[in-house]
Order: sequence, then C-alpha cells, then structure tokens
Amino acid sequence: MSARWIASASLMVLAAAVTALATAQQVPAQGAAQVPEFAPRADSAAEQRAEFRTLDEDVQDLKKQVLDLNRDLFLLEEELLFQSNTQTAVFISMDVGEFFGLDSVELKIDNKDVANYLYTEREAEALLKGGVQRLFIGNLKAGEHELVAVFTGEGPHTRDYRRAASLVFEKGIGPKFIELTISDREVRQQPEFVVKEWE
Amino acid sequence: MNESMGARWKGVALVALLALAGSGSAATQLRGTEAPDFVLKSLSGKNLRLSEYRGEVVMLSFWATWCGDCRAQLTELAAMRDRYQEAGVELLAVSLDQNARQASEVTAEASYPVLHDAAGEVGRLYDVTKMPVMVLIDRGGVVREVFEGFRRGNEEQYLERVQALLRE
Repeated sequence: MSARWIASASLMVLAAAVTALATAQQVPAQGAAQVPEFAPRADSAAEQRAEFRTLDEDVQDLKKQVLDLNRDLFLLEEELLFQSNTQTAVFISMDVGEFFGLDSVELKIDNKDVANYLYTEREAEALLKGGVQRLFIGNLKAGEHELVAVFTGEGPHTRDYRRAASLVFEKGIGPKFIELTISDREVRQQPEFVVKEWE
Repeated sequence: MNESMGARWKGVALVALLALAGSGSAATQLRGTEAPDFVLKSLSGKNLRLSEYRGEVVMLSFWATWCGDCRAQLTELAAMRDRYQEAGVELLAVSLDQNARQASEVTAEASYPVLHDAAGEVGRLYDVTKMPVMVLIDRGGVVREVFEGFRRGNEEQYLERVQALLRE
C-alpha cells in the first residue's frame, strides 16, 4: 500500500518538474516582444564586465608597479649601504652532513665578531637540503683581511665538536663573496670545513 | 605670590600624575606589536627560534629559580599547556638565571621547552624589568597580552585569554 503511495507521489513530483521545465523553456518564446527591452541591459552588463576587467587590469598594473618599486628600493638600499667596491658577503652551505650536526657558527673578520648564529633543527635541515644562507654582509676596505669561522655542533659518535676554519683573502675593487662549506670526508669519517672565495 | 606658587605646584603634580597614568611598564608596551624574534639554546640542547612557532599560541614566560611567584606561575602555565597543546598552545619558559644548572634542577620533569638566556639578551629584548612576566603571543606572532607578576587566581585570566586566542 505504502509502496503504491510512494510511487504515485514520485509520479506527481516528476510531472510537476516536467511542467515547470516546459514553462521555463516557453518563457523566452512568450516574452519575445520584450527582447528589445532586455537587449540594452545585456549591453550594459557587457559594458560592466569590460569595466571590471579594465579595473582589474589597473589593479594588477598597480601591484606590479609597487613590486617593481619595492625591488628598485631594495637594490638601491643594498647599493647605498653595501657599495659594490666595499661589499663583502659570507655564505654557508652544507653537503651531506652525516658526520656533523650544525649547532652554531661564529664568524670573525680581522679578529672582530661580525656574526654569531644559532641553528635550529629546521634551519640545519634546510641547509642539508641544499639551502645557502647569507651569514654576513658588510663593508670592507680594499686590502688583506682574515676570516675565521668557528663551527660547533655534534660530530661523529654524537660527540661535541668544535672546529675553526680560516682564510686570508685580498679584497680588491668589486664585491667579494666567500662561501663556508661543511661536507663529509668519507675516508677519515670526519666532517670537513672549507672556506672558498668566489670571484 | 602664594597663589601663583600653589598653581605651579598643582600643574607639576598634574603633569606627574598624567605621566604616571600614561606610562605602562616597558614590557607592556609591546602589546599589539610583532613579538621580537630570538633564538636560544634549550636545556635539552636544541636551539629554538620563536618565529618557528608561528601558527601556535605561545605563552612566553620569563622566570628565574629564585623567584617563588615565577615557579608558581610556571606550574599553572605548564598545566594549561598540557591541556591545550594539541589545540596549538606552546609554553616557552625563558630562564634568566645565570647558571643553567639551577634552571634544569627546578624543571627536571618539565614537558615544555626551557630556554636559557644567560646573557639576558632576550630579557632586554622584551624589556623585562620585573618577574615573572608572561607574554601571550597569538598565532600570527603578535604580542596580545603582557602579564606582569603573579597571584593565585591569575591563571583564570590566562585561561580566558588563551581560549579567546584559540577561537580566533
């Protein structure tokens, strides 16, 4: 009994839906005379869309200009603060890191502390994944300088490890880039600390 | 003459009163600003950086072993941290003791990170002039509250603020 009721109710709903659909399809035909009335509205909608598009483009242009300006300001700031003829930058990178877990780096130039950095687990992992960190950027006058980097961390067999690496370099005209690289020395089962100069 | 002197004194007193009313302690002036970032070595040996806790509500507590109120506050904060840790609440306890061993003895069974600020650099960064100080930092890294001192019952106020920050 109830199944029959459900079936008849479903039929009624279906019939109502079909009627509604047919009515909806007939609307444009019945309202054919009103088409000219709607036409200008369609035009204005298109105009509005075009206006919005222009506005959107303007906003995008403005954003780009702000970004360009920001970049120019950044470059200008770098150039003014760290002029290329005195600029010296020190970077740090790690390769493998099986024999050394980095904890901190202390950087001295001409026996003066210029950077002291404590590494969190995430930062050390980022370096292991190929990240390069700018540890120091500053101004040095032309001539001979000495750089000493003291690395502390966990060495082989989870022992506390502290090692220094140094480099005497000549600062000429033009910027100077130095890279501190920590890598594994498989043969000696020890980490290796290398200081490289980039031209 | 006497009248003008009296008026001048009243003026001086008013200025002093206004100055007192307007000046919060240095630490409380951090409210609404981005929490100064720092990295410190924890007693477990790991280095921890505050900015790596972005996305979590951080209770930054400055304390010392010789300060009884600090220890009482830490106990309350630790309980709150244990309760809400999974919801994203962390407690960073910065010890301003000169000796890390003293701090590690007191917090031997602590489940939260205890950091040691031997040089007092982070304490200066947050203008800590009295203890304890608890800085409440929201998920976006902004200082939302600075609580100075501790009295029994203050923990309810902390809980209310932490819950509000979790709801944001």
